[in-house]
Amino acid sequence: MIRFVLRRAVAAVPIGVLVTLGVFALVFAMPGDPLRELAGDKPIPAAVLAAKRAQYHLDDPFIVQYLLSMKDILTGHFGTTFAGADIAAQLRLRIPVTLKLTLLANAVQWTLGLFFGIYAGFKRNGWIDRSLLLTTLVLLAVPGLVAYFAAQYLFGVELKWFPVSGVLEGFPRSYLLPALVIGVLGFAGLARLLRTSIVETVNADFVKTARAKGLGEQRVLWRHILPNALLPVVTFIGLDLAGMFGGAIITESIFNLPGLGQFMFQAIKLKEGGVVVLLSTLAFISFILINLLVDLLYGVLDPRVRNV
Amino acid sequence: MGVALGLALVLASCGDAKSSGSGGSSGSKSEVIAIAADPPELINPLNDNGTAGIGVSMAIFAPLVTTDPETGKLQNVMADSVTPDKNSQTWTIKLKPGNTFQNGQPLTAKDYVDSWNMTAMGSNAWKNNGFFSKVDGYDALNPPTPDGATPKPTAVKTMSGLKQIDDLTFSVKLKVPFSQFGLTLQYLGLAPLPEEVRKNPDAYKRKPIGNGPYKLAADWNPGDDLKLAKWDGYKGALVPQADEITYRFIPNADTAYNEFLAGNLDFVDVPSTKVKSFKTDAPDQWVTSVSSGANYLVIPAWDARFKNPKLRHAISEAIDRKAFADLVGLSEPAKGLVAPDMAGYRDNACKYCDFDAGKAKQLLQEAGGFSGPLNINYSTTSATGQIFAEAIGNMLRQNLGLEVKYTGKQSSEITELANNHKLDGLRFSGWGHDYPSIEDYLTPMFKSNGDANFAMYTNPALDAVLAKGDAEPDPEKAIKLYQQAEDIALEDMPLIPLYTKSNAYLHSAKIEPRVSKYVGVSALWATFK
Repeated sequence: MIRFVLRRAVAAVPIGVLVTLGVFALVFAMPGDPLRELAGDKPIPAAVLAAKRAQYHLDDPFIVQYLLSMKDILTGHFGTTFAGADIAAQLRLRIPVTLKLTLLANAVQWTLGLFFGIYAGFKRNGWIDRSLLLTTLVLLAVPGLVAYFAAQYLFGVELKWFPVSGVLEGFPRSYLLPALVIGVLGFAGLARLLRTSIVETVNADFVKTARAKGLGEQRVLWRHILPNALLPVVTFIGLDLAGMFGGAIITESIFNLPGLGQFMFQAIKLKEGGVVVLLSTLAFISFILINLLVDLLYGVLDPRVRNV
Repeated sequence: MGVALGLALVLASCGDAKSSGSGGSSGSKSEVIAIAADPPELINPLNDNGTAGIGVSMAIFAPLVTTDPETGKLQNVMADSVTPDKNSQTWTIKLKPGNTFQNGQPLTAKDYVDSWNMTAMGSNAWKNNGFFSKVDGYDALNPPTPDGATPKPTAVKTMSGLKQIDDLTFSVKLKVPFSQFGLTLQYLGLAPLPEEVRKNPDAYKRKPIGNGPYKLAADWNPGDDLKLAKWDGYKGALVPQADEITYRFIPNADTAYNEFLAGNLDFVDVPSTKVKSFKTDAPDQWVTSVSSGANYLVIPAWDARFKNPKLRHAISEAIDRKAFADLVGLSEPAKGLVAPDMAGYRDNACKYCDFDAGKAKQLLQEAGGFSGPLNINYSTTSATGQIFAEAIGNMLRQNLGLEVKYTGKQSSEITELANNHKLDGLRFSGWGHDYPSIEDYLTPMFKSNGDANFAMYTNPALDAVLAKGDAEPDPEKAIKLYQQAEDIALEDMPLIPLYTKSNAYLHSAKIEPRVSKYVGVSALWATFK
């Protein structure tokens, strides 16, 4: 098992280099001068531009800029953004925000997804199953942007059940509405995957064997069907969770949550390659870690793939 | 199990929803002002030229002089007198006695001289460095730097034109006479910093020590609202009414608008997406400003195809400004090159701005037509860029019979291409003044090498008239000279006037924002009901 973990960690290094290099190249290739975006309404004197260029290595060739950024990231010297913010302080502020939103949104998504998925799986073609199919189709078709503003207006402005935006009311109140919207929009895929998986498992040979052995229906359900049906779901949940750690850019912007997504958005707007790569690296690491966790969990759930 | 717990948490928390009003209203006058921008990382007016940072600084710092919102005349704040010599080249500034910084130190001429020299030092890379380029001795602090090199601090640390005379008096000698210099002193980017901040500005990024009507009421950490309390040591003019002000930064303008509708804010800008609906969303709770500057169509001076002024006039005559202003919303057709709230504005300045398709066609013919498709560039960063470009394009196609195409790019890329003379065709631009003088429209946009000379236009005759105006001590006569410059620019027409736009704001029932014909709308100086 330790060898497995080590092997995965080593394999992650070249992937990490490719990902960060690719992201940095994309930011580098964006048109426009980053410092001009920063200047805002006024022209910036040449001396000021030159000083800023030198400070952020903007005159260096692409690969030198990339290596300098990676050196800063690996040695933990994050420095400051173009606008002068201390990046380490920004991370300390923003990581908890994104973490809280992600976990709460996932809690909503999993609760709804597992509940409706399992129910629909066992009561196939019942009215819940059918309305689930319809609901999920509708939800998958709603654009996030529309749903977020509509929910904000209805539940925040009109009904006043939730704060409209910001994190002033702390956890969980400030995070509830965005998390609910993310969860409700996202549970459909999970529920449908779980339903299909259960349907497939129910008809598998080993389930028939279990029944033939005379096991009770509850035991067949909880000990034989569910653990097997959950396998693909674990992978799905892992990918989904890891994806959200990158920061929900649109959600964080509309609900004014100062998380990693907003930071990423600002950095892309200003073409701050260093910050974009730092955030991508963070997202990449959490992706690798969560997937590793998923694979280990797989082994626990399914003896066949233990200690690969 | 964690899943079930999550749901329980969600449900339990829904129950105790309580309305969250805007601050305690227990007798003290407090207001929450939304700023639709990313929060500034530092408060230092000398190193900030963004709207958000300067807006916040207005509460914490006080300028030397300001425009009286009632009369439009210049009024002293920290200054006791601002006196030019007879050709407006050396200006003597005398401070009022008895003013202090918020740390108790007296405010002296030395604070201004040292703060200004610090800003003028190129290697400090402070954003308002450019302001001092008019001052004698600026160049010594800003030697040319080769590409890629870091500007080094120069041996000379002070501008030769800036001299302290006594504790409360200092003088500024300019490179060339400039009659409008007194007006420029109201720019907040010239605020003084106290000695302890000058010694280590980085340590005071988030705890500014100002000389204005408000000071920090609480620590200001990243992500926090900026909470200000009235500072009773402020003895300048125009004391605002509020006892407490909270600035809340909400980068998404539509979100800020929704926060206002929910009753959590006292003041918010109306975003461009709500221009058509704000009057019904918040009846009796909105105000509009007279103008926020002027907007133009830029004709590149480097493109020979546009060289004939008659062609430029033809394009101008082919634009139905009334229809275009209606499309933009809250706007008026432009009748000249300066904003209508400026002293010296003439509503008949432009002779080629009345929509007349027949005259346009005739002018185009006299100019010998136009070869090739006409390209209109628009910014993809702006939600309305493409719509505006197509509106102008359609008018030119229908009224002049031109073939029109459109190119969308990020605004920073458009600027860069234009700076390198590589942009093909027309683009949009706008300008708002830093100090209320028509000179601040004409010099930046039309003087050779002006700071905001979008078209890269040069005309020695115009430069000469501007220089005459700059050297003219009598304000009325100076305005007449600047108007001559405007006439030259309208004949050459490097920029086609399009529209002037008002800004709209929403305010809560408990405050009435100050609305001035001269300085626009302000929540800081709101009246409490």
